[in-house]
Amino acid sequence: MTFFESKTYSQILPNGKSWLFHFTMEVKSFITHPSFGHSLKGPGQYEISGVAYSGNGRVAKVMVSADGGKSWAEAALQGPVNPKAFTRFRMPWRWDGQPVVLQSRAWDEAGNVQPLRAEFVSARGQTEKPVANPLAFPNQHYNSITSWGIDSSGGIKHVYA
Amino acid sequence: MRKLPLVLAFTLAFGAAAAVAQTPRPGQPITESDITAWNIEALPDGKGLPPGTGNAKLGAAIYAQKCALCHGENGVNPRPGYAPMVGPSRFDRIDTMKTVPYYKYATTLYDVMRRSMPYPIPKTLTNDELYALSAYILFLNKIIGENEVMDAKTLPQVKMPNRDNFVIWAPDKI
Repeated sequence: MTFFESKTYSQILPNGKSWLFHFTMEVKSFITHPSFGHSLKGPGQYEISGVAYSGNGRVAKVMVSADGGKSWAEAALQGPVNPKAFTRFRMPWRWDGQPVVLQSRAWDEAGNVQPLRAEFVSARGQTEKPVANPLAFPNQHYNSITSWGIDSSGGIKHVYA
Repeated sequence: MRKLPLVLAFTLAFGAAAAVAQTPRPGQPITESDITAWNIEALPDGKGLPPGTGNAKLGAAIYAQKCALCHGENGVNPRPGYAPMVGPSRFDRIDTMKTVPYYKYATTLYDVMRRSMPYPIPKTLTNDELYALSAYILFLNKIIGENEVMDAKTLPQVKMPNRDNFVIWAPDKI
């Protein structure tokens, strides 16, 4: 067995076991606009947009939340929607200028759903401290929800929600 | 005459000019011995391991000369960004460092050194040096004794501390 099969494509679990041959990228999505590095120039109309993909086939549905997961609405998918391919989703959104948390959540045609952060952490555990070097991130195939926190001045940063 | 339909097919597919100018010229079929030279995989059951022998004492000297610069003296305190060769043997946290004791099989250690180490000059270690280094690194991790001899027969028999903790993830997706 090679180094990469032994080490990289295996996943330590909290119960002391490890998944071996952990290859498939499970269903995942994240918002690319607006996201870290952007800023909103005041209340008004914006388009939320991002990408979804799944190693199990086609993306079936993407839901978007602008209130940290309390309520969700279905985004439009831009075709063609191909298996294992980036699929862009879009959602019109009006920002009222208040602090918000944007999230997206995807489903694939095999019926898998992108896990909430709490579900993912309970299945995999989490690091003691935030990881400073992204190349050292110990999580293969991270597919939980990405949250963007927007403050009242329009600044955007990554948050856990 | 048997080649005519093929030529016609290429002509139709790529155009007459291209077919004349770029007739495919396949080389010679690769021989089994050429493949063997490239295929250096060492499997968990020992298949693919070459002849040779070594122990930790011999390995210590080679390690100091050819490995310690990056991976640290005695396998600890490596250069920033490089992996230590000694690490924890209990794996229940997502951020536990995966070093040699994490491997399911000892042959993986031999395999990765054989194909990629030392990093600036890979494939320069002899089979004996590789067995000696395997023995030394396993000894540093207290997996084998200092005098145990590693060869094509004994290396696959080394019981790695984490061996029984692996479960195949989603067998239907592999």
